[in-house]
Amino acid sequence: MSSNQEPGMGFFVVIWLGLVIIAGIEVFLTYQHLPVRTLLFSCLILSFIEAGLAVMYMMHLKYERKSLFWSLIPYTIFVLFMMDHVWPDAFRVARMSLLK
Amino acid sequence: MSESELTMGAGHEALLEASPYGIQSKKLAMWLFIISDSATFGAMLFAYGYTRIGSHNWVAPFEFWPTIVNAMVMTLVLLTSSLTMLAAVRAARDGQKSSANKWLAFTMILGTIFAILHIREWSKMFGEGWGMFTNPTGGAVQFGAAFFSVTGLHLLHVISGVIALLVITLGFNRGRFDANHVETTGLYWHFVDVVWMFVFPLMYLLNAR
Repeated sequence: MSSNQEPGMGFFVVIWLGLVIIAGIEVFLTYQHLPVRTLLFSCLILSFIEAGLAVMYMMHLKYERKSLFWSLIPYTIFVLFMMDHVWPDAFRVARMSLLK
Repeated sequence: MSESELTMGAGHEALLEASPYGIQSKKLAMWLFIISDSATFGAMLFAYGYTRIGSHNWVAPFEFWPTIVNAMVMTLVLLTSSLTMLAAVRAARDGQKSSANKWLAFTMILGTIFAILHIREWSKMFGEGWGMFTNPTGGAVQFGAAFFSVTGLHLLHVISGVIALLVITLGFNRGRFDANHVETTGLYWHFVDVVWMFVFPLMYLLNAR
C-alpha cells in the first residue's frame, strides 16, 4: 500500500471536478475558431495537465516513494518526446502531396 | 531452509528481496505495463498526427450534435468511473467489503455504458459509409484508419478492464483476492481514463466541424 498519508475522499472529488472542468475548457476552445495549430497545442497542454492530475492523485503516484516516480515518469516522457522525430517527414509528405 | 528453497521453492510466500519502491511486485508490474502501453498509445497518436499532416484533403467531419456531445458524455462517464474506482479501492483497504463491491459494481456499470455509447457511435458511422479504408465525404481515407484503430484499441482496453474488474470483484468477495489486487486493477482503470484524456481532444475535438 501507499507509504505516505493520503487525503480524504472529498479531495479526490475536487480533483474529479477539476478534470471535468478541463475537459469542458477543451470543448469551449474547440468552438472559438482558433487556428488548428493553436487549438492543438492548447488541447495538448490541457491534456497533459489532466494526465498529470490523474497520474499523481487518482493513481496515487504522489503518495508513493519518490523513487517510483523518478523511475517511471522521466523515461516515459523521454520516449514520447523522441517520437517527435516523425514531424519533419510528415511535413515533407505534405509538401510532396501539394506538388502533385 | 536453504536460501534457494526460501527464494525459489516456497510459492508466493518465498522470502525475496525487498522492493526498492516499497510496493508489491504486482503493483510494480502493473506500473511497468502502464508505461509500455503509454508508449503504444503514444505511437498510435503520433501515427495519426503524421497521417493527418501528410494528407492534403483531411476533412473534419464531426458535428457538435450528436458526435461531440456523445463524446462529452463518454468523457464524463469515464472520469466518474475513475472516481468510483477510487472509492472502491479505499473501501477495500478499509475492509468494507460490501461498500467495495458496490463501488466496483458502479465502476463496471460506467465502463459498460462507455463501451455501449462507443459501439453505438461506431454503428452510426458504419451506417454512414465510414470504414477503415472508406470516407463518405470524399476526404482522406486515412481518417477512418486512424480513428477506428485508435478508438478501437482504447475500447478494447475498456472492455478488458470491465472483465478484469468483474474477475477481481468475484475473487475479492470469495476472499481469494485482497485490497492490493483491487488497487492494482484500479491502476489499470485509471490508465484507461488517462489515455482517453488524449484521445478525446485529438481524435474528436480536432476533427470537429
